[in-house]
Amino acid sequence: MSTPEATSEQDETLESLFEGYTPEEQTLLDKIQTFLYESVYSPFLIMWVDWRTRVGLMILLGFVLMGTVGPRVVERTYVNHGPYTQPWFQSMDHPLGTDRIGHDILSLTVHATPAMLEMVAGGAIFAVVVATLVGTVSGYTGGKIDFVLTTFTDIALNIPGLPLIIVLAAIFEPERAFLVGILLTINAWAGLARAIRSQVLTIRQEAYVEASFTLDMPLSYIVRRDILPNLMPYILMNLMEMARHVIFASVALYFLGILPFTTHNWGIMLNEAYQHQAHTRLDLFYWMAVPIIVIGLISVGLILVAQGMDRVFNPRVRARFDQSKETSTEVDNV
Amino acid sequence: MAVTESSYSTGSSEDVIIETHDVSVYFEMDRGTSKVLDDVSLDIYREEILGIVGESGSGKSMFASALLDAVVAPGKTSGDILYHDADGSTIDVLSLNQEELRAFRWEKVSMVFQGAMDSFNPTLRIKGHFIETLKAHDFDVDEGLERATDLLAQVYLDPDRVLSSYPHELSGGMKQRVLIALSLLLDPDVLVMDEPTAALDLLMQRSILRLLENLQQRYDLTVLFITHDLPLVAELSDRVAVLYAFQFVEVGPVSELLERSSHPYTRALLNAVPTLQTPLSDMEPIEGSSPDPINVPTGCSYHPRCPLADERCIGEEPPFYATEHDDHQTKCFHWEDAISEIPLAHHKSTTGSSQIVEGKQSEEPVLTLDNLCVHFENNNSFLGLFGESQTVFAVDEIDLDLYENDILAIVGESGCGKTTLGKASIALQRPTSGEVQYRGDDIWAVKDGRSESDRSYSAIRRALQIIHQDPGSSLNPNQKILRTLESPIKHWKSDMSQTDRRSQIYGLLEYVGLTPAEEYAQRYPHQLSGGEKQRVALTRALLMNPEVILADEAVSALDVSLRVEMMDMMISLQNMFDTSYIFISHDLANARYFAGSVGGRIAVMYLGEIVEIGPAEEVIQNPKHPYTKVLKWSTAELDSDASQEELPLRNIDIPDPVNPPSGCRFHTRCPEARTECRVNSPKLEATDDGDGIEAHQVACFLDKPRDHPYWSSDQLVSEDNPTLVE
Repeated sequence: MSTPEATSEQDETLESLFEGYTPEEQTLLDKIQTFLYESVYSPFLIMWVDWRTRVGLMILLGFVLMGTVGPRVVERTYVNHGPYTQPWFQSMDHPLGTDRIGHDILSLTVHATPAMLEMVAGGAIFAVVVATLVGTVSGYTGGKIDFVLTTFTDIALNIPGLPLIIVLAAIFEPERAFLVGILLTINAWAGLARAIRSQVLTIRQEAYVEASFTLDMPLSYIVRRDILPNLMPYILMNLMEMARHVIFASVALYFLGILPFTTHNWGIMLNEAYQHQAHTRLDLFYWMAVPIIVIGLISVGLILVAQGMDRVFNPRVRARFDQSKETSTEVDNV
Repeated sequence: MAVTESSYSTGSSEDVIIETHDVSVYFEMDRGTSKVLDDVSLDIYREEILGIVGESGSGKSMFASALLDAVVAPGKTSGDILYHDADGSTIDVLSLNQEELRAFRWEKVSMVFQGAMDSFNPTLRIKGHFIETLKAHDFDVDEGLERATDLLAQVYLDPDRVLSSYPHELSGGMKQRVLIALSLLLDPDVLVMDEPTAALDLLMQRSILRLLENLQQRYDLTVLFITHDLPLVAELSDRVAVLYAFQFVEVGPVSELLERSSHPYTRALLNAVPTLQTPLSDMEPIEGSSPDPINVPTGCSYHPRCPLADERCIGEEPPFYATEHDDHQTKCFHWEDAISEIPLAHHKSTTGSSQIVEGKQSEEPVLTLDNLCVHFENNNSFLGLFGESQTVFAVDEIDLDLYENDILAIVGESGCGKTTLGKASIALQRPTSGEVQYRGDDIWAVKDGRSESDRSYSAIRRALQIIHQDPGSSLNPNQKILRTLESPIKHWKSDMSQTDRRSQIYGLLEYVGLTPAEEYAQRYPHQLSGGEKQRVALTRALLMNPEVILADEAVSALDVSLRVEMMDMMISLQNMFDTSYIFISHDLANARYFAGSVGGRIAVMYLGEIVEIGPAEEVIQNPKHPYTKVLKWSTAELDSDASQEELPLRNIDIPDPVNPPSGCRFHTRCPEARTECRVNSPKLEATDDGDGIEAHQVACFLDKPRDHPYWSSDQLVSEDNPTLVE
């Protein structure tokens, strides 16, 4: 059959088989529409059904607005901006109160957000992308590549995280929030990479993965289409976990004074409140409470979104969604 | 002709152990009420073996669960189930409370579930399972363990060894037998078995059935055997009840049902089953599919698929008619006509004559296996310091040629290396030594770049395709069918327009019977049935115009009635695509049907070696190797009194492939083995009976002339497994 004549002969038989089946030609616009519908619109609707996603997305949207629009609306604060240690909800000028040297706490909180978002994005995305790449490639390919990658992962996994970050922070003194984020997850990806690798080892036993391999589909296809979708709920959950990790770690390290105080940060606010005994004095409680509430809220938002996202990757939910769409359009037509 | 409604009871009520009246099981769902058992009434007699047969999704497992009031929530059971105890008291099963139910199950009625091999706790020794069961029912542990030892010996297991092993140390067949022993531990009167052997290969199925018969007699059991495999129960049962669309459609003694079945469905079912005797052309699949529990057709539920259906069948539900035989009842208006209208294929048997079908294979082989070996290193040692690494000889020194348009069926028990051989042939498994050549090029040399050939590895890779055994995992659950099928074409024929691509996919889907194709293409795998998934997998394999397709037990997971249909489909596609198949199966009947239709060959494998190979009909009708004869014995026939002879094996379980026996590997189980077999191993050579069929080769001394040392050496007797020769 490898001879050209035989192949063309077969193509003819094939063609005769397909006579009479001419699906409608799709224009480029149609294709873009289908793509947008299938990859953006319908996953969003599926997610939106879940109250957790709705609440979570609203919270995160709030933080994004606080990080982008917020600094333009809320004036940057300065020393002696207001009275000293005014408690919250006392005046319209300083609704969340002021600190010991007259900084407006609302302004401090809002102006800390852009850097924090940048840090979260940098750290979480860096760690999850590295972990997913290392985990899937080493799990699927096996052999020497696997050996090299797992050895590398194990080394990263076994270096104590906190001292490493302290040392690196001392050497590089990172000021860009983005880089701080990466620094904070410099070896946090290793555990996730290990976990993903072991999951890939199970998935690659599945018959459909072997079928793709027998069709000689490229590695990128198999990883993207056959392996990753099965791991997505897990990876997304970890993305959100990692985001929380970055937030907590940055707050902790700023609080401990390990990272250079170059930007505003909720950790720095906590540190200063602590320095002034806010944890033991009830009248200064608000100073500490504001950053704690903000951190808790963003953390809850991330968790809710991660839980709601599960649905998008469940083929049963997607199929039911398609069916309900069909029936509802039928009803519309009637 | 007496028209009797519902009840089947003909004997006096003393004979009946379980009475069921109008039992229904239903689930409330969003789409409506799903009635998965619809007002069935059936009496089970004391100490009988009753077979219950039906396609998947016909409600047969629900019937079993209902008997024990074990339908899982949110399912609800209604009707009457009465259990008549040996002492004359009667128990109303559905009114028992939790505590009474716990005692009733296992002590009165015990059950072996489907896929029960996974029901062991992997961290608990077998002994622990027995003790747990005894304690849960407040039985004396020591006495119980004594009984357990007895029971295990009864099922041909070494009690001491088995009791102290962990579940993973036992093979599937052994686990299943342990479960049977476990279910009999508390001396129940009724044993309900729900597809107990479906996951085992035929030889083990048959061996277990044989055991079951002995156990039934020894312990005065009433056995309820539920299966989709009609021939399997036909041999074992006293009576058979056929279930279709959540109702019984025919009940009667086995011989009546096989010879004079009067429901069109039963007759169609009998004709759909591949056997070793039936002429190949007379087997036919049943058209259509069984109904959805929410949407059962009005009148007779079988009318959409029935050739005899008329207006009356659509409008009116038929009652049960008694036939000439007392105990044989049929739920069909046309039962008298069915016998003459639908002839039974197995009545026209062609025993003995071998029809050799000429295939149209090429001269040049597509695939050549040259001295192929695949060994697995099983390394249990720590850093290679403690313990020895063990080698599993999965495939050992095999030479084979596969031609264009060829079909090679590889048959053998599980663990004999047939899948490994198949995967090695299509270059999915790298051989330890030896070569796999694709049209003269060593595939692995091409892959490693050691070959001079201008053929690319990628082209070879795509020319050799596979269909997997398990429909559940053969398709990516996250993609619609269209995407699964479209991606390979997109990647390899990128110049093809989307319209051409889709029309090719829709055409193929339509051809394999998935109509309307455009609608099927938009489904996810979980929205397809097992048979439909296998067809999509077949379509995917065909996208690349492959030269060889490895069908790894591709029909084994399907219902019996669907197997013939699937095999027909594969054969008709062979004609269109000029594809060769390597068909792996544990079922000689399927292998015969598939290979025999186009003049293919059957190769019988045992512990990594081919022991017999030849044209399909020749191997089936004129087997030379004792192992082939054993496999033939294990293939159930649609004949209630045939093959009652003893198990032609000295040992049920296959030896460990880590340390294969010396000499002929089959000698530990072979009924014909002599001392010579233990020392020397026979080579695969052409048979010597002068029938002129050169392709028929066998590796056994039995086929050698009388002056061979085999004939002068002593017969081997079983000393290692005395339980078998009692």
